Amino acid sequence: MAIEIRPLEQFTIERLIPFHIGGVDISYTNAAFLMTAAVVLITALILLGTRKHALIPGRWQSLAEMSYEFVADMVETNVGHGGREFFPFVFTLFMFILFANFLGLIPYSYTVTSQIIVTFALAAVVFIGVTIVGIVKHGFHFLRLFVPQGVPAVLLLLLVPIELLSYCIRPFTLSIRLFANMLAGHTMLAIFGGFAASIGLLGIFPLGINILLVALEVLVAALQAYVFAILTCLYLSDAINLH
Amino acid sequence: MVRRAPAILLPVPVSMVAPPGMSESRPPDPLVRLGEEIDKARAERVRRQPVVGDRSVLQQGLGLGVRIGIELVVAVVVATGLGWAIDRWFGTRPWGMILLFFLGIAAGMLNVYRAVTGVSGPVGYRPPDAGAAASEGGRWDDEDC
Repeated sequence: MAIEIRPLEQFTIERLIPFHIGGVDISYTNAAFLMTAAVVLITALILLGTRKHALIPGRWQSLAEMSYEFVADMVETNVGHGGREFFPFVFTLFMFILFANFLGLIPYSYTVTSQIIVTFALAAVVFIGVTIVGIVKHGFHFLRLFVPQGVPAVLLLLLVPIELLSYCIRPFTLSIRLFANMLAGHTMLAIFGGFAASIGLLGIFPLGINILLVALEVLVAALQAYVFAILTCLYLSDAINLH
Repeated sequence: MVRRAPAILLPVPVSMVAPPGMSESRPPDPLVRLGEEIDKARAERVRRQPVVGDRSVLQQGLGLGVRIGIELVVAVVVATGLGWAIDRWFGTRPWGMILLFFLGIAAGMLNVYRAVTGVSGPVGYRPPDAGAAASEGGRWDDEDC
């Protein structure tokens, strides 16, 4: 009778193809499989969508064009003209997170972005990349990012550490935001699903809530990908449009 | 396979919005005619839904709300953790943790403030028009009053 609710079980990593090299576990896991699936699907969408080059786009072509235009607009408005060269990076990032989030919504699949290490790796790439871009573009001058203008020297002693700290915190906020949203959302879905299964006929109420929650999760999945991409744009903009 | 995509994913295709034969005068080039029809259909669509701007504002607001929620918490937690680690390395307990705790609060507030006021990023970055206004000189006196 009693159904055990284990809402965190869905985040277990399972080794699909166990593989060890020199004591290092590099097994092909379900998380890795979902990442592969996301990459394959994105590539398929873009390649198949743009295969025909139709003047009047078909369904797949307009999907591919819409995603292109969405990200291109985002980069253009947030980074400016100097950001065109970073469009491929932002587009890849946005599509990967979007597909990972959406694939995670499919029942019995796996949400890659609910693993902090995945989101942190993405955020670290953004953080290190932006810092390198800033140093390459501005050289030593890039450090002026941390020095507010027109401030007395005494206050600089206080303000520079704060600026430095708020800069170094970026990868953490970026990764924790995505991770926490996905983790919390999917846990909540599992909890309400467990209620629906365990309380019999009354379970129709948690089931109804779950339907609404799925709609919310669809919004969150898209929104988090958008937020991640737009913050990447803003950080790039800081590094490129330095005063 | 390409044909059987679910139709929900798409806005109305341009060719359906403006069926051929709607325009009376026909330029010889079909591409020019098509372009005109698309423009007409787009104008029509914009006229019909004047709330397009509101939607993007809503989207931005949602994005902003989701962003700033976590900013303050993470700043304090990460800074305090960093202070704790520094204390362990250099044996300066508890000063590093105390100092970085307050710095973390300041940094978190700074980030939230910047996200809300729209001036994103560190102080070094200023939008071009704000920088020009500040360098005019006269403006500062006005603001002091």
